[in-house]
Amino acid sequence: MKILIIEDERALRDSIEKYLEYQGFVCETADNFLAGKEKVAQFSYDCIVVDIGLPFGSGLDIVSVLKEMESKAGIIIISAKNALDDKLKGLELGSDDYLTKPFHLSELNARINAILRRRKFEGSKTIRFNEITLDPEAQRLTVNGQVVYLTEKEYQLLEYFIANQRRVLTKPAIAEHIWGDEYVQAGDYDFIYTHIKNLRKKLLDAGSGDYIKTVYGSGYRLTDN
Amino acid sequence: MLTGLYLFRQFNMQINERSDRELMTEEQGWIDYLETGLENGNTFILRTREVAVYPVNANPNAFPVIEDIADNTLKPKSGLPYRQLSQVVSIGDISYQIIIKKSQEQKAVLVTNFTRIMMLVLAGLFIVVIIFNWIISRNLWAPFRRSLQKIRNTELNKIQTLHFEKTNTKEFNELNSSLNDMRDKIYQDYINMKEFTENAAHEMQTPIAVVRGKLELLLQDHNLNEGQLQSVAEASEVLNRLGKLNQGLLLLSKIENNQYEPAASISLTGITKKYMRLFDELIKDKGLIVETDFKEDFNTRLHPVLADSLVANLLGNAIKYNYAGGTLLIMTSKTDYQITNTSRLEPIPQNKLFKRFNTSNDAGESSNGLGLAIVKKIADANGLQVDYHAKNGVHYFELKILK
Repeated sequence: MKILIIEDERALRDSIEKYLEYQGFVCETADNFLAGKEKVAQFSYDCIVVDIGLPFGSGLDIVSVLKEMESKAGIIIISAKNALDDKLKGLELGSDDYLTKPFHLSELNARINAILRRRKFEGSKTIRFNEITLDPEAQRLTVNGQVVYLTEKEYQLLEYFIANQRRVLTKPAIAEHIWGDEYVQAGDYDFIYTHIKNLRKKLLDAGSGDYIKTVYGSGYRLTDN
Repeated sequence: MLTGLYLFRQFNMQINERSDRELMTEEQGWIDYLETGLENGNTFILRTREVAVYPVNANPNAFPVIEDIADNTLKPKSGLPYRQLSQVVSIGDISYQIIIKKSQEQKAVLVTNFTRIMMLVLAGLFIVVIIFNWIISRNLWAPFRRSLQKIRNTELNKIQTLHFEKTNTKEFNELNSSLNDMRDKIYQDYINMKEFTENAAHEMQTPIAVVRGKLELLLQDHNLNEGQLQSVAEASEVLNRLGKLNQGLLLLSKIENNQYEPAASISLTGITKKYMRLFDELIKDKGLIVETDFKEDFNTRLHPVLADSLVANLLGNAIKYNYAGGTLLIMTSKTDYQITNTSRLEPIPQNKLFKRFNTSNDAGESSNGLGLAIVKKIADANGLQVDYHAKNGVHYFELKILK
């Protein structure tokens, strides 16, 4: 899976690259509009992460170029502007998602995974992690071929964990991904614990390994070693 | 009034002088008559209503005495005013008392009429002067009042449309041109301030994104020990708050910049139901007793983003600051939207209520101090009124549509 990151802020570009490479993606980068446009024209990518505010041009134009080329790549716009207009324009031009800075890298990764899955026309769309299989369309979990019933939130939680497997996920990142920004407005992160406890119990009851680990003081991690 | 009095006195004096002269001429006539007619030493006595001439035993006076008297002898109690001349003169060797009276009735009538006319004229004049004064001052001050009205009605975000036009008065022109200059300066400052807030908040997003990315990567490092991991996680959480704060500030400045024009009427009741579902777990977790009374939908013209923010803030606060087992009451009607909740927090003083960064110490770290400022800003920008009061541990927020 090849990903192009077009972002002018070096430190952010590096972080994104590093995180996505951890997750098994092959990454290339461009730091301005022209370089981005060139790479897009020359090579083919599975997903393109593009900032709107770039030197020498707007990321929105890269989206237009990709659409003209009838590229099959998924597109995620990242922008410091949380402007509805930009969001709508980007989606209208054909981008698949829009993420406002500052975002969690785990969130970006999860969204890239979701886009790639949606774009994968042939083959299986299921997500596998050892004996755990997720069917995103039906939002169904099977462990060793046996269906396990999860609540909507538990399912989303598990999907998020698997997309970011082996990475530490902080409570704010989890809360924002599953409950959204506003939820944090109404409470603290304590409620995450209950959900993770329930999910863990259901997985164990179904005979799966104990993969979700608490990382003391910082968050949770799904890992098989 | 003083002029009236003065005129009256002058007029009175004139009339008195004339009648006095008449009296003296008449007396002289009588003296002449006595001197020519009484050479033979006869005495003369005359007593009529107006003239009395009779001999007396008294020394002659050098000057006649002229005075006003009221004669009641003829018509009792009528008090008719008379002007009377009396003098003792010596004709030959006999002293005569001469008394001549002249009725002042005519004069009194004249004076009364004159005074009445004068008063009427003066009063008329007075009224005319007042009216003229009023009209003149109204016209004269009209440009001033127009400017004043403009200043009173203007709002800071619409100040650039304000124009103080040229008038026919030099002073007002000076005033208006100063006001125009001031408007430009205020507008410029306002724009600068707005741009600063928006740019500052906007420019901060990328650095925050960078730091957040770096911290997230650091968390993945297997070489870190527990204490280090915890530090990174804490830093990351605080950074999260900074990000939220920044987003809040951006939202505020965008509302100020009218970047959220209302598109269509939206039902806050519907949005509240949506957030009730979203917050359902929190409500259950806290064991809150929720009562809803959605009689009618509360519809108002509001941008969807702002409608979400408004409800999320009000409902979020009502849950967050509630205690376990507390109550939450939501009532909506066509004109009213009310959220009532129990809380252990002290009532918010009215003067601090909607101020930015005015969190009570009890509110804890989860508050960024912008929620209610955002609520207020959204309400103000969209013709809503937001009221708050708290009593006996029950906090009450109400939204109303302003006419």
